[in-house]
Amino acid sequence: MSDVVTLALRTAPAGALELAAVTPDRLAQLAQREIAALPVRHGGRAAALGDFFVVQGERAARVRLEAEGLGAAMTGGELLVEGHAGRDVGVAMAGGTIEVRGDTGDNAGGALPGAARGMVGGEIVIRGNAGDDAGARMRRGLVVVTGNAGQGTGRGMIAGTAVVFGETGSDAGRWTKRGSIVACGPVARPATFRYACTYRPPHVRLLLLYLRERRGLDVADRWITGRYDRYCGDLAELGKGEMLQWAGE
Amino acid sequence: MIINGVTIEDTFAEAFTMRVARIVITGKTARWAREAALKLTGFATSVIGCKCEAGIERELAAPETPDGRPGVSVLFLTMDKESLPQQLIVRLGQTVLTCPTTACFDGLQAAPDRLAVGRALRVFGDGFQGSKVIGGRRYWRVPVMEGEFLIEETFGMQKGVGGGNFLILAEHADAALAAAEAAVLAMTDRPGVILPFPGGVVRSGSKVGSKRYKNMLATTNEAFSPTLRAIAPSALPQGVNSVLEIVLDGTDAPSIEAAMRLGIRAACLGGVRSISAGNYGGKLGPHHFPLRKIMTASAVA
Repeated sequence: MSDVVTLALRTAPAGALELAAVTPDRLAQLAQREIAALPVRHGGRAAALGDFFVVQGERAARVRLEAEGLGAAMTGGELLVEGHAGRDVGVAMAGGTIEVRGDTGDNAGGALPGAARGMVGGEIVIRGNAGDDAGARMRRGLVVVTGNAGQGTGRGMIAGTAVVFGETGSDAGRWTKRGSIVACGPVARPATFRYACTYRPPHVRLLLLYLRERRGLDVADRWITGRYDRYCGDLAELGKGEMLQWAGE
Repeated sequence: MIINGVTIEDTFAEAFTMRVARIVITGKTARWAREAALKLTGFATSVIGCKCEAGIERELAAPETPDGRPGVSVLFLTMDKESLPQQLIVRLGQTVLTCPTTACFDGLQAAPDRLAVGRALRVFGDGFQGSKVIGGRRYWRVPVMEGEFLIEETFGMQKGVGGGNFLILAEHADAALAAAEAAVLAMTDRPGVILPFPGGVVRSGSKVGSKRYKNMLATTNEAFSPTLRAIAPSALPQGVNSVLEIVLDGTDAPSIEAAMRLGIRAACLGGVRSISAGNYGGKLGPHHFPLRKIMTASAVA
């Protein structure tokens, strides 16, 4: 008997890894060896949980999944992470949705090391705080952070959208070509973004309504109907990107 | 068949297959959505002269629209696939793009035929336009003096029905107009149906071609013109001195049939002698709406 069962990824799956058998209620009944023997399906073929995860603890209804790169390069479907996730969530993803009900590490929706492009499609919703470089080098897609985002959110963005409801750290949008960073909270804006106007962007209204009605996020009316300061940037780059900072109702 | 003293003639309305798009226009207020919709659907009574037929389907409350603002739903029809995007691009570009506060959305999202209307209109942005994908649908943001015009990239097109109709044969012009107004009121806000003519009513039902002028596609229907009863073959019973027509276009035949049922019943007022319908002998149009069958179905229902 232990407080928590920890599953630490030791082999990155080459295909889709289905963990339907891994539920907290079931793990509460099982010994460590039985947990490792639980059936999973990898790329449609039968395998054991222990083939991919190091199992620590047993007979506990709390499960901690320690994995990095959850949903990396996924092209479709829905991935729901109950709890915190590590770094590289949805890195280079191309489609589908990832929802993390907790915090994420760095580089969510970002790029693989050395890659020119980060995510090229799909949606990542982080119901918590994000680490650094969320949505870095994104080409298309959507990253939403309901809490705070670290440094370099949307750094080197090529296109796409990042929405941060909390505080956005420094260097957000640095080297952005196109794309939008929507900051509902305070944001440390690089000097290479220039103020354009204050207005009610129709696409932000549409996007936030979508997040509220279709993704079930608790988006306040003042953000949906509010005014935003539009800053164009990064003017050290193409300059067709934008940072939209909420400016009041 | 007689309803409220009005004879329902044993005939049918003959309608054609058209192509239809549904345009949802939203605005800061219902007024501005309506202003854009009225301009968009202006001069769109008949394909004979307008190249398209369009009308307001119904007004939409804020919760019904994609951006949560008051809106108007417009049905827009043409005879063939090619002219629908052409007409939409020209008309949306001159009416909705120009109208303060409006945004423009596709109302036929499930239709597999997609018309790249927003994609064509984006170039008004002269390279400053940008796009956003929200919920799997792409929208264009076109910078304008007011701020930004938002339009969906593609609009769905499906087969629709054009030319559903009925004729109100009345003892005098006032009775015909009162019956037509009552019919239009009964058919307003019916989903899937528009009445493209002024106030929903036509006074100049036409026949195909001309007896005298080669270049005329359509000319007056002398058989239904009371002033010509003495000098041309007439279809009007004695005592009928004025005829008005209601034309219905829609997304599908059942919607038109349901609207006709309501409209005909409402038109059966004092001073109306009979309700008839226009057809071409049944050989031209694939959709037939037999009046008595439609009204019998209502009695059962």
